[in-house]
Amino acid sequence: MDDDIQNANPTILNASDLPSRRQDSNVQHRKDGGTGLFDALMPSYAYPYNAPETPSDSGDSAEDEIREEIDEQEVYDLISNISDPEHPLSLGSLAVINLPDIHILPPSSPSSQISTVVVDLTPTISHCSLATVIGLGVRVRLEQALPPRFRVDVRIKEGTHSTAAGVTKQLGDKERVAAASENATLQGVIRKMLETCE
Amino acid sequence: MAAPPPHLLTIAPLATFSPAGTSRAWCSVPHPSAPLLATASSDKSARIYSLTDYRLHSIASGGHKRSVRAAAWKPGVKGESVLATGSFDASVGVWRRWDDGEIQVHKDPRDEDEDEDEGVGEEEDGWRFSVILDGHESEVKGVAFNAGGQYLATCSRDKTVWVWEEIEEDNWETVAVLQEHEADIKCVVWHPQEDLLASGSYDDTIRLYREDLDDWACIAVLMGHESTVWGLAFEPIGNKSWAGKGALSSEQQAFFDEREKSGPRLISCSDDTTIRVWQRKPKEHVEVPTGQGRMPSILRTHNIEEDWFEATRLPQAHSRAVYAVGWSPITGRVVSAGSDGKITVYEEQWITEPHLDHSGTSASTTDPNAPRTEWVVVAELDGGHGVFEINDVCWTKRRDKDRKNNDEEIIITTGDDGEVKAWTMNEK
Repeated sequence: MDDDIQNANPTILNASDLPSRRQDSNVQHRKDGGTGLFDALMPSYAYPYNAPETPSDSGDSAEDEIREEIDEQEVYDLISNISDPEHPLSLGSLAVINLPDIHILPPSSPSSQISTVVVDLTPTISHCSLATVIGLGVRVRLEQALPPRFRVDVRIKEGTHSTAAGVTKQLGDKERVAAASENATLQGVIRKMLETCE
Repeated sequence: MAAPPPHLLTIAPLATFSPAGTSRAWCSVPHPSAPLLATASSDKSARIYSLTDYRLHSIASGGHKRSVRAAAWKPGVKGESVLATGSFDASVGVWRRWDDGEIQVHKDPRDEDEDEDEGVGEEEDGWRFSVILDGHESEVKGVAFNAGGQYLATCSRDKTVWVWEEIEEDNWETVAVLQEHEADIKCVVWHPQEDLLASGSYDDTIRLYREDLDDWACIAVLMGHESTVWGLAFEPIGNKSWAGKGALSSEQQAFFDEREKSGPRLISCSDDTTIRVWQRKPKEHVEVPTGQGRMPSILRTHNIEEDWFEATRLPQAHSRAVYAVGWSPITGRVVSAGSDGKITVYEEQWITEPHLDHSGTSASTTDPNAPRTEWVVVAELDGGHGVFEINDVCWTKRRDKDRKNNDEEIIITTGDDGEVKAWTMNEK
């Protein structure tokens, strides 16, 4: 098993150095009590149909209100706890997922309700063949946890991987992602990666 | 520059086929003659809906182990319906079902025993899984029958296109395995008249094939798209879009006569968000020179290669991948849909006057290469399936009792929400 590890000594960030809502005093304090609680409220295997509306006091909240409730930090919180497939460490602590590399793009026209979440991943080493699996895990996690009005674009950051564009294209192909999610082996790997998101 | 004129047409909801599936639906294909629609579903089945009442007619299930990604009806079959399905389980299924007239006969109680005695394979809702075509190594993404119905083309992530021929009922032979693409092949379509096959791929190209001396070969590579080619559609034969617009001027007549020589055009849509129209250069029948310069090929008596070029692009209407395009045989209009959930309808119009932004006015009017037609958006609708992606769109004739006339067409969309919807085009 150890022979298979591609990066035996990754750089690990301290948990206290990871971005979280608690350190960000500028952000308005929210009723859901912050990141930890929010995570617990997010079932990780909910299908988009019953994707939970973000916890909110107003049950009949307007679309616009919900729109404001999901920001980059929240997306970070949804995915930073995903485990690396070869280390017992989170993608956040390995700096594969970084808050500044998460962007939420508003709808492209006033008549559209579709927002886009763009996540740029930084693989730990430039030839890591697990980049696709990691990216798939991130995409699956976000598709399960975010309301369906979000399109999810998971990309490998340019210049961080020998085949960044190729992996990015695969991750953007819904048909391949759908077929991968019907593959039992791959599904097992991803389930394991997402276990730590509970 | 003047603001574009407001759209003249609206896309109005007509019906949602019910009950809808509970998971992603990939595509919906109208039957060539009966008022039926087959929807390929990620629940491993094909759902057959009625186009007369928009309700579920039957389900072809129990044959595939994974998502059904594509479906195609065999044209020209009498007394029964034949449906081919392509699945992520790497297989292609061929299903048969007696047409409803026949089914009525079987509902006679005396015939029930007979039904049980038949015991041919899986049988549910009258659908018999009659044969399974194995050969592809990974997910099958597209299936298509040629116009004559004797050939079935299939394509897969294994980078191959297979052409199958039904020698006799349920006896299929592989007549070609075309390994031209460098990646995952997303779709296959046949030319409406000729045995000319087109495929679109993850390698960003479109390839065309035809039979040459008992062997199928690639005869053209269409390059231009900057990402995956998701969908293709040939221009239907007898595109009458210009006929209804009164008498053509001699200039227009000459233009369309000239274009007719190219035959039906091909339209493609892509992950690069563009939709492009491709046209064949008519072949000039030039004798191959013999003598010292070029020796005529002994193996190939004629050149089957074709020269296709990007004739034009449709106006940019989508902000994300465009998954499907449909070309209407009645109006010549094109409809597109994709990841952004928008449905857009385009029409090809004659350019009556040169654009104002051209500087040399007299020069641009006389330029023989200046485009004589342009595509304009005539209708669009956001959020056709709410916030969900639309995976497929096509035109079909309206078959319900409220249709305005026998040529009225509707748009069918298929979405990630599992729903299939019918839309009408209305004048504003």
